[in-house]
Amino acid sequence: MDFAVIGTAAAEALTLASFIGIGGGVLLGYIVGVIPGLSRSVAISIAIPMTFYMSPYIAISFLIGLSKGTAAGSAVSAILLNAPGEASSAATALDGYPMAKQGKPKTALQVGLIASVMGDILATIILIFVAIPFARVALLFGPYEMAAILAFALVFIAGLSGGSIFKGLAAGGLGIILGTVGLDNQTGLPRLTFGYTELMDGMPLIAVAIGTLALSEMFIQSEKLRYERGTMSVAMKKDPNDRITWPIFKSILPTILRGTGVGTFVGALPGLGPSVGSFMSYGMTVKASKDPDSFGKGNPKGIAAAESADNAVIPAALIPLFGLGIPGNVSAALLIGAFAIHGITVGPLLLRDSPELLYSIFAGMILASVIMLALGWFGLQFFAQITRVPPHVVIPIVIFFCLAGMMLQGYGTFGLIILMGFALLGYLMKKFDYSFVTFLVAFIITPMLELNLRQSIILSRGNWAILLDRPIALFFIACTAVALIALIYRTFQTDKAAAGAPVSE
Amino acid sequence: MKTTFAAILGATMLTAPIAYADDWPTRPLTMVIGFAPGGSTDIQGRVLANVMEQYLGQPVNVVNQPGGGSAVAFTRLMNVEPDGYTFLFGGTTALTFTPIITPVEYEIDDFEYLASVALGQNAIVTSAEQPFTTFDEIIEYGRENQMTYAQQTPLDEAIIGAIAEQEGLDLAIVPTGGGGGMAPLVLGREVDFAYSGGTHAQYTPTGEMVVAAFMSAERSPFYPEVPTLMELGYDFAIEDYRSIIVPQGVPEDVKDRLISAAEFASESETFINITEGNTFFPVVFIGQEEMETSVRRIRAATEEVMAE
Amino acid sequence: MIFVPRSDFWSGLAVASVGLLALLWMIPNYAGSNPFARMPPGLVPGIGAWLMVICGGVVAIKGLLQMMRDSLGLVSADLNWGALAWAAWPFAYVAVAIWFMSFIKITWFGAFLIAGMLILLGERRWYMILGCAVVPVALLYVLSVYLMRVGIV
Repeated sequence: MDFAVIGTAAAEALTLASFIGIGGGVLLGYIVGVIPGLSRSVAISIAIPMTFYMSPYIAISFLIGLSKGTAAGSAVSAILLNAPGEASSAATALDGYPMAKQGKPKTALQVGLIASVMGDILATIILIFVAIPFARVALLFGPYEMAAILAFALVFIAGLSGGSIFKGLAAGGLGIILGTVGLDNQTGLPRLTFGYTELMDGMPLIAVAIGTLALSEMFIQSEKLRYERGTMSVAMKKDPNDRITWPIFKSILPTILRGTGVGTFVGALPGLGPSVGSFMSYGMTVKASKDPDSFGKGNPKGIAAAESADNAVIPAALIPLFGLGIPGNVSAALLIGAFAIHGITVGPLLLRDSPELLYSIFAGMILASVIMLALGWFGLQFFAQITRVPPHVVIPIVIFFCLAGMMLQGYGTFGLIILMGFALLGYLMKKFDYSFVTFLVAFIITPMLELNLRQSIILSRGNWAILLDRPIALFFIACTAVALIALIYRTFQTDKAAAGAPVSE
Repeated sequence: MKTTFAAILGATMLTAPIAYADDWPTRPLTMVIGFAPGGSTDIQGRVLANVMEQYLGQPVNVVNQPGGGSAVAFTRLMNVEPDGYTFLFGGTTALTFTPIITPVEYEIDDFEYLASVALGQNAIVTSAEQPFTTFDEIIEYGRENQMTYAQQTPLDEAIIGAIAEQEGLDLAIVPTGGGGGMAPLVLGREVDFAYSGGTHAQYTPTGEMVVAAFMSAERSPFYPEVPTLMELGYDFAIEDYRSIIVPQGVPEDVKDRLISAAEFASESETFINITEGNTFFPVVFIGQEEMETSVRRIRAATEEVMAE
Repeated sequence: MIFVPRSDFWSGLAVASVGLLALLWMIPNYAGSNPFARMPPGLVPGIGAWLMVICGGVVAIKGLLQMMRDSLGLVSADLNWGALAWAAWPFAYVAVAIWFMSFIKITWFGAFLIAGMLILLGERRWYMILGCAVVPVALLYVLSVYLMRVGIV
């Protein structure tokens, strides 16, 4: 690695213009992330026309800063309102919202922010020093391996659902059915679309995520207003104990490191995406913990696990992008477009032809993380004021942004109807204690799992022995089997426990 | 006096068209793109919008309406007011191919094809590490060995399937999730060869991928030595024009303005640099007359292929 | 662990029926077929439907057994209509708003949408209503027209 080039690049990265550009990107992303109903795709659509007028380096750093900002910002609405803006922040809400309700919103936000920034910086460092030369390792993960990993993720995350396993699996079943809606990926024939052109690309993920996560939560909260008026606001009092302390930081540090590892692995494999990363990390933390029952009730480790992995995915998704030219997920694919508009072809050529640009971008990414930390830390006070606003004021505004955010995506009235349908579904699932997490993860994973499974079956021509040459796939198949057995075992255990549990209605 | 009166009368009668011709457009335009942001159509569209804006003097806003490979966007375009303020930029496969296999509400005659600014790329690619590089060598190899092919649309699957049958290949065809899904399969040598709708442009300069043949009707200027399937003796071609499309009923003068804006863009350095340099689509301006016949010709040819 | 046999019974029954509907009607009629693929298009949705039928069925049966043990009736005698109406009106409100949105852009009536719901939720201070109604709409206008440049939505 040429250190002179890195030095020049770092110098270029630290100009005032780049500082403003990156800072603006992080801020814009943060604000869009905080508002439920507006998601990363809205932020990127805002950004692409703006980048026309920037230099390539600033434009790319601006966009990466924007992605990081939305990932960190969506944790704010997840923690304070239980209305995550992205599916990947749904794991953050599991422990973040209970913690905020227990009078520790600031601690929760600080844990989330520190986990985000650390996951982010560590993954960026891995990206710079380790990953690009080894990007080809991702090619070892062919359809067999991907199918095995996805199957493992699905079973593993299904096992996370609290309460009744049967209810969780039933919700997962619905997610699987809805995940297969759209054009069949081989024949191009419509499947379960009932003749609607709008459903050809499947149920729009944005409508599903906003509906089940944010809008349904507003209906739940407005219903609660009848009974708990006034008590629901998580007032941010000047509580001197409500801040992150050294013992808390020490306790979450291993979790952050694990989350970063999981997030980097998931991000480096094209196609998995941040939701899989944050839920896998959350699940592993629960499994590794000495008292798994404390999760879902406001354990800071839960927030740290989800946020560190969610943010580590973003730089890690650039590993296959810069190393191989393959986008790791949707945001990385959007970056290809932004690069192209500036006349740059992303891929291995970038390192060879214009290393200065590449190292400038890396420097810009680190700078974006630092800005995010500063902005988030000082902005915390301001953003957390949201909790002082009484819920009856928050609810109509969030509902408005959910509807408007859906319109901004260009799906029209049809998208709104889908959104409404999923809000009703999410409301019923929360009411009757069916795991919407399992539903959402099954919905997100199913299309990828089916494609990779289909590819594996066709490529192997039905010959199972081919798996013997695929140690990685075998390993994950074994993991899936273990997770499945554990799931069945736990089902019987909860069954027994339920039979002996006191009855209440 | 009489002439003045006649002139005023004429002016009043022709107010709308004259105003159009001189001042059109008087408010911002909307360019509809039938794909999500970030793909090749989106990049080209956004650059095109930028250049057209310079010519027309009004902002050209880009709206993405993803779904069904532009089928959703065409369905909506059919119902917009035909005043030229809303037009679509995109490929023609949603008209020449999609209606054959799926029921859609629109038909070719619902739209007018004002101009094409770029030609789609349809290539057959393979990894540089494979023991074959040309299409003939692929066929040769396939006569001895089992082979695998990664498709992206039912159309390229139908064509390759027909060739495999004709040549007696034992071919397994797998679906991919588009160009992004194809690249790892080819580079990781999970499949022997694959269809590419433009993604190969990123990998041929590094020498990782080789273009074995083109499915387009003509050779690509970027790979002048690579033959087309037609030249190799297979009577198949996939053609796709990235064009400006409006619903039927747009006034003549407005159409003329849009066509000249497109022609202006096709000569603009920015548009050519990005389209040819980054997405590897040759910039070719084709006027309305030729486009109207091309679209219908391709549709008929595609129907023939799919019927087999 | 809270165990609510009656709601379990009904929700389990509903889930199992949806699964059964998918298995018997939706998948055979709308999944399409592909005789060449080794994996028919109905396979994966079929697995999902079976999961719903089996797991929903188990939940329903367990709920039913518990109800029999506790000698509960199938339907609750004291349905709280007021609570139901309170839970339902926001859905109706948003549904009407969506119906409106197919005629008028949300930017034009968004302020009334927010204000109306605020008043229904019990807010009476005029300055609160005005501020909460106008600021988000102004933000949306700036966002759609100037930042995203998709025009008024």
